[in-house]
Amino acid sequence: MTAYILRRLVLMIPVAFLVTIGVFVLVRISPADPVILFAGEERDPVVLASIRQQLGLDQPLPLQYVAWLGHVAQGDLGRSFQTHQRVLEAITERLPATLELGFAAILISVTLALVIGIISAVKRNSVVDLVSTSITLAGVSFPNFFLGIVLILLFAYVVPGHIFPPGGYIPATQDLGDNLRRLVLPAITLASASLAVNLRQVRSSLLDVFGHEYMRTARGKGLRERTVITRHALKNALIPVVTLVGIQVGAIIEGAFITETIFFWPGIGRLAVTAIPSQDYPVVQGVVLVSAFSFMLTTLLVDLLYAWLDPRISYETASA
Amino acid sequence: MSGTTLPVVLRAPVAAGRLETARHFLRRNPRMIIGGGLVLAWLLIALFARVIAPYDPVQVSVADRLIAPNPSHWLGTDDLGRDVLSRVIVGSQISLRVGIISVLIGLLVGVTLGLGAGYLGGTVDLLAMRLVDALLAFPALVLAIAITASLGPKIENAMIAIGIVAIPAYARLTRGQVLAVRAREFIVAARTIGASPLRIVVRHIFPNVVNALIVQATLSTAFAILAEAALSFLGLGPQPPDPSWGQDISYSTRYLANLKWWMSVGPGIAIFTAVFAFNFLGDALRDALDPRLRRSA
Repeated sequence: MTAYILRRLVLMIPVAFLVTIGVFVLVRISPADPVILFAGEERDPVVLASIRQQLGLDQPLPLQYVAWLGHVAQGDLGRSFQTHQRVLEAITERLPATLELGFAAILISVTLALVIGIISAVKRNSVVDLVSTSITLAGVSFPNFFLGIVLILLFAYVVPGHIFPPGGYIPATQDLGDNLRRLVLPAITLASASLAVNLRQVRSSLLDVFGHEYMRTARGKGLRERTVITRHALKNALIPVVTLVGIQVGAIIEGAFITETIFFWPGIGRLAVTAIPSQDYPVVQGVVLVSAFSFMLTTLLVDLLYAWLDPRISYETASA
Repeated sequence: MSGTTLPVVLRAPVAAGRLETARHFLRRNPRMIIGGGLVLAWLLIALFARVIAPYDPVQVSVADRLIAPNPSHWLGTDDLGRDVLSRVIVGSQISLRVGIISVLIGLLVGVTLGLGAGYLGGTVDLLAMRLVDALLAFPALVLAIAITASLGPKIENAMIAIGIVAIPAYARLTRGQVLAVRAREFIVAARTIGASPLRIVVRHIFPNVVNALIVQATLSTAFAILAEAALSFLGLGPQPPDPSWGQDISYSTRYLANLKWWMSVGPGIAIFTAVFAFNFLGDALRDALDPRLRRSA
């Protein structure tokens, strides 16, 4: 296992470098001149040249990359062109809101996927199964920003009593009740992005387990159906479900950009989206870098957890 | 004599046989008829959009602003009096164009990378796969947003961005298939009789990957339409006044509090049905073309 972990970590290093090169290049291919953006109203060539020098933009690209990477390694993602706030500070300020939304969405998505997926697999071809497969099919095609808008329309404006507010964020420390009320609609919207995939995964892995001989053996020795399912089927079927968390993180980060925008949720997704029109590249660059590294680390952790949970996995094969 | 008559005798039954096989194939896979029909319907709508659309989608008519759905405007009008149905119909051109072109970009680059990596192996494989891993390290939509944000909010840039995001799927799929057939007898035979690597890849390996690529291309068109809608929703797709489903939904949000629901419902349903059509067809094709699934069905 240690060798497997080390091998995975070593393989991650070149990929991490390529990711940093990609993020660096993304900003450099932009047609806008970062010096002009940074200078605001200032157009004096002497001042602009001075800013260019201070930002290190007069250096050749490889040197700029090395300098930028050095700063990133020390946690310095630069300053926002708009607010001149440190990008890392802006991200960490907004991270709690994104994490809260993300955890709520994962909770809803995984719980619903498990409950509906298990019933659907156990009672195959029943009404629940039909509903489940329909959700799967429709869910992957339904744009979650449209779902968000439908939810706002229904629950914030149409349904009497306006059960949930159309958007905004109140920290839990300030008013827990209001925080939760404002969390419901965005969390459902974000959860919908991955519910369909999760549901399909739970159902198909359970159906796969049902075909194994140990299930017949368990039934053959007279165990109750409930015991067969909970003790034998679920235990094995839920191993692949661990990967759901990995899949979720990608979907949650992607969805956060959209969902936070619709619901005025002050997370890192909205931070990046509001930075785009003003060409605030350090902010966009910072958020994309943090998103990519979070996604990479989670995928690695999930792979390791998966290998640890399922002893049948050959580390050599998995890493090949 | 038999040399001249044999092809003539065989031609008719082969053609009839193919027709019969196609009919049998469709009968066995009714989902393909539904999915294919839906895709074809959207393609025809996009192709003849300007003819079908009852009104000019960018024509402002202040007198007709914010009219609820009625017999003259089936999906109502927006705040500038533009017909929502016409905007949905013409908007299909942009969505499908972005979907198809970006998939072609991903297909071309991804398949080339996958064929090269799988057949040549060694350093080429190592470099190509690390590049693919790096692309996969980004959540897909975040990468598309980042690329479009850097290149500028334009439809062409959205196509490039979504195309780049699609590359890893094709590269991995192609490489996997190439590795699976590389050591097979017919490839060894081709190599033995002196066929060039390019000929082996194009004539012998590529045909074995086509089925899987057709399925992947159909499914990724669905993703591309959804991604284009998301980019447009964030203001990174086509710019006003051109109609675009995602952008129109985003624009409609300012009238939600006034309960002008029809402004978002039309484009929302359009995105859903178009994405659903390609997903449904992709699933049906996968079931029909993948022999492993066919056996287990």
